[in-house]
Amino acid sequence: MTGKQPRYVLGSLLVGALVLGACGSDDDAGDAATEATSTPSDAAGASSTPDDAGTITVYTGRHYGIEPVFDQFTTDTGIEVRFTTGNDPELRERLIAEGANTPADVVMTADAANIALSAEAGILASVDSDVLTETIPEELRSENNDWFSLSQRARVIIASTERVENPPTTYAGVGDPEWRGTLCLRPSTHPYTQSLVASLIIAEGEERATEIVQSWVDNDPLYINSDTDIYKAVADGECDIAIANTYYLGRLLTEDPAFPVEIVWPEQDGRGAHVNVSTAAVTANAPNPAGALALIEWLATDGQQQFADANFEYPADPDVEPNEIIAGFGDFIADLPAVRLLGANQPAAVEVLSATGYE
Amino acid sequence: MSNTLTDAIDVARDDSSSADAAGGNSAPSMTSAVAQRARSWTSTAMISAVAIAVSIPVLVIVWSIVQPSTEVWEELWATRLPGMIRDTATLLVTVVFGTLVLGTSLAWLVTAYQFPGRRLLGWLLVTPLAIPGYVLGFVWLDTLQEPLGARAVRSIWLCALVLTITLYPYVYLFARAAFREQSQRAIDVARSLGCSRSQAFWRVVLPMARPSLAGGAALVGMEVLTDVGTVRLFNVSTIADGVLRVWFGTGNRNAAAELAVLLIGIAIVLIAMERLARGRARFTQSGSRAGLHVERLHGARAAGASTIGWAMFTFAVALPVSRLITWALEARRTDQTATVAGDLGFHLMSSLRVAAVATLTCLALGLLLVAGLNRRRAGGSLLARLATLGYTVPGPVVAIGVLVTLAALDRTGWLPDGWLLVGSFVGLIYALVVRFLAVAYQGIESSVGKVSPSVVASARTLGAGRVRVATRIELPLAGAGIIAASVLVAIDTLKELPITLLLRPFGTETLPIWVWQATSESLWVQAAVPSLAIVAVGMLLVAALLWTLEHGAETVS
Repeated sequence: MTGKQPRYVLGSLLVGALVLGACGSDDDAGDAATEATSTPSDAAGASSTPDDAGTITVYTGRHYGIEPVFDQFTTDTGIEVRFTTGNDPELRERLIAEGANTPADVVMTADAANIALSAEAGILASVDSDVLTETIPEELRSENNDWFSLSQRARVIIASTERVENPPTTYAGVGDPEWRGTLCLRPSTHPYTQSLVASLIIAEGEERATEIVQSWVDNDPLYINSDTDIYKAVADGECDIAIANTYYLGRLLTEDPAFPVEIVWPEQDGRGAHVNVSTAAVTANAPNPAGALALIEWLATDGQQQFADANFEYPADPDVEPNEIIAGFGDFIADLPAVRLLGANQPAAVEVLSATGYE
Repeated sequence: MSNTLTDAIDVARDDSSSADAAGGNSAPSMTSAVAQRARSWTSTAMISAVAIAVSIPVLVIVWSIVQPSTEVWEELWATRLPGMIRDTATLLVTVVFGTLVLGTSLAWLVTAYQFPGRRLLGWLLVTPLAIPGYVLGFVWLDTLQEPLGARAVRSIWLCALVLTITLYPYVYLFARAAFREQSQRAIDVARSLGCSRSQAFWRVVLPMARPSLAGGAALVGMEVLTDVGTVRLFNVSTIADGVLRVWFGTGNRNAAAELAVLLIGIAIVLIAMERLARGRARFTQSGSRAGLHVERLHGARAAGASTIGWAMFTFAVALPVSRLITWALEARRTDQTATVAGDLGFHLMSSLRVAAVATLTCLALGLLLVAGLNRRRAGGSLLARLATLGYTVPGPVVAIGVLVTLAALDRTGWLPDGWLLVGSFVGLIYALVVRFLAVAYQGIESSVGKVSPSVVASARTLGAGRVRVATRIELPLAGAGIIAASVLVAIDTLKELPITLLLRPFGTETLPIWVWQATSESLWVQAAVPSLAIVAVGMLLVAALLWTLEHGAETVS
C-alpha cells in the first residue's frame, strides 16, 4: 500500500504544476504586475510586441524607485509604460543581441560609461529634440545627442565629524599616508569605482592616475561593496574617511538627522567633484520612437524633479532645484566635461585598478 | 557530478511497489524487430536533439576560445588571475571539506543514535537548503559586522563558512541515505573481529558510504565554483566572479567567456575526481534491509547530541530567519516596501509559475534522456555530458549563451510574425533547463541505476525492448528518486537570479528579483519579505523531499 504513495505524490506534483503553469496564461499575472504600467504579456507563449502602439517599452539599469516615476508619466500623458530592470551591461548585451527585433524603445542606465559603450555599439538613436537640447546642458548629453543625462550623482570624500579635523580635499589627498588603515573604498568590481578612476585618467593622465590609485591601495583600505555600509563604517569608527556618493547620505539623514558623517567636496579648486549620471536614450530599433522621445522629454522636464528626488540625485537640468536634503550639502563645482569621456576611459580604468592591486 | 542522488534518498522500492509495477503490466507482447529498431532510432534522434539543444548556449561560449584574447589574458595573468585561482581553490577545498565533515557527522548522529528530538532534527537539518546563499550571506554580513568589525567580517573564511552551512545539506542528505541503506550485519562482523563502534564507523560504514559522499561533495563543488552572489558580498575574488569582472568592466565578452571555459575545465576535473572517489563501487538493491542498530544515548551524551543538532539548526536557519523577520517587521513599521512593482502575491505567483514549469520540463527531458541513454556506452555518455554542461558554468554565462542563441533564432524569421523567443516565457524556461537539467538527469539516472541489472536482464530475456524496460520497470521503481530530483530542481529554480534577471518576460517578476532590487542598493530591510517568502516555499519543498525520504524509511522498517 505504502509503495504507491511516491507515485501519488509525483502525480499531484505534476497536476499542481500544470495548474500553476496554466494560471500563468490568464490575466492574473498582468494586472498584478503594475497597475498604472500595465504589462501585457503572453506568459505561456513567445512574447510578442505590444498590440497597443502607444505603449512604451523601457530597459532600465536604474531601477531604484523608478516605478512611481513611470506611473506619474502614465497619469500625465495617458501613455502606458512597461519596463524590465537589470544590470546595465547585461541589458546592453540584450539590446545588441536582439538587434532589429528589440521591443525596447528606451534604454536607461545608472552609469555614464555604460551608455557610452551602448552608443559605441550602435544601438542608440540620435534624436533631434529642442526640449532636450535646451534643458540638458551640453556636457551632460552625447555629442550627437544619442543619449541624455537625467540626473547627476557626485562621488565625494566623506569624513567622520567626530574624529577628522582636516579631511583631504582632493582625490589624490586620500592616498596621503596620514589615512593609512583608516580609509574605506568600494571594490573595483563596481562601476562607481571604475568611473571615478576613469575621471582621474581623463584629468591627470593614466600615469598620474595609476600613482594616485596606488597610493590609495598602499593605505590598506577596507573595501566595502555598498555605499550605505561605507557611510555606516565611517559613523561606527571602522574608517575615518572614505569615498562615496552623496545620495546615500541623503537617505541616512532622513533616518537619523544627527548622522556623524560629513561631505567634503573634492577638487573644488580645480576641475570639480567627480559626477556620474543616470541616462536615457532612444534605441536604434525602437518600435515606438515617438513615444520613446516623449518619455525622455517628460523625464527631463515635468518628471525631472520626481526622477532626481526618487534617489536624492541632482537634477540634470540646472534650473530644477535639488531635493532640500541634498541641497543642504551646499553648492559645488562638478567635473562635467569628463562625463562624456567616462565610457571611452573605462577599460583603461579597469586596467589601472588591476595593475595597482585594488581589490 | 555524475552522482547517485538516491544514494541520498532512501528510496521506497520495496517488494510491494515492484509487484505493483509488474501487476499493472500484462505479459509483454511480442514486438516485431523492425518496429523495435525504428523506435530505438527515433529515441536516439530525440535524445540527441535534446542534448544538442541544451548544450548549444554553452558551446557558443566555449567556441570563443577559438579566437583567444591574448592581450587580456596576459594582463590577467600578470594581475588578478593568480589571486582568482587561489581564492577559488581555497574556497573549493574548504567548503567541500567543511560540508563533508559537517554533513557526514550530522547524518551519522541522527542515523546511528537515539536521543531526544532526533526525529525532528533529522528533518530540520536539511532546511538550510531552502535559504539562498546570497540571502544567508547578507544576513550574516550585517549581523556579524558589529561584533567582528567591518574589516574582519569580509574574509574568505567567513565566506567559506556561509557557503558551508548553506551547502552541507547536500552531503547530509546523501550521507544519511547511505547510512540507512547499510546493513547492521557488516558492522556486526567488524565488531566481532574486534573493532570498537567508532572503529567500525571508520573502517566499514564510511568506506561503504564513499560513493554517496563523493556525489554530494561534487554537487557542493559545482555550486561553489559557479557562485557569483555570495562571494562578492565577502570581497572574495573567484574565477566565476572574474568572469563578470572582465565582462562588465571591460566589455570584452570573449575574454570573459574564456575564463568561463576555465571553469568548465575545473568542473570536468572535479567530475573525474568524483568518479575516482567512487571507484568501481556500485550499489544495487539487496534483498534484506536490516538497517543499522540504533544506539540509545542517555544522560549527558543524549543532551550533548541534542545540543549539537539544535545548535546547528539555530546557527544555519533559526538565527538568519529571525533576523529576516525582524527586518520584515521593520520594513512594515517604517513603510519601506514600495520600491518594486507588484506585491508579494504577484512575485510569489511568478516564482511558482517559473519554478513549476521549469521543473516539469527538466523532469520530462531528464526522464527522456535516462530512458534512452541508460546502458549505453561511449556515445551515450558524451550526450549525457553535453546535456549537463550548463550546470558547470555560472548562471550569468548561461544567460548570455541563451540570449545569443535565441536572438539568432529570432533573426531567422522562422517564428510567426511578431513572435520572439528572447524575453519570452518559453525562452526563460529553456535557459533554466539548460542550467538545471543536470540536476534532474543525475537524480533520475542514479536512482534508475540502482535497479538491479538482473531484473532488467530478466525483462530483456522475456522480450521487452529497452524503452519498455525503462517505462515499465526502471522508472516506476525509481519513483521516489525522481520526486527527490524534481524537488531539488524546484528549489534551485526558485532561488535562481541571474538567468531570470536577464531573460524574464514582461510581467514576470520573481522573488529573487525583488531581493536583488533591494540588495543592490544595500536596502537589506526591504529584501526581508521576499527572502522570507523564498525560504518559506523552499521549506515546503524540503518538507516534500523529506516526506519522500521518511516514507522510504518507513516501508523498510
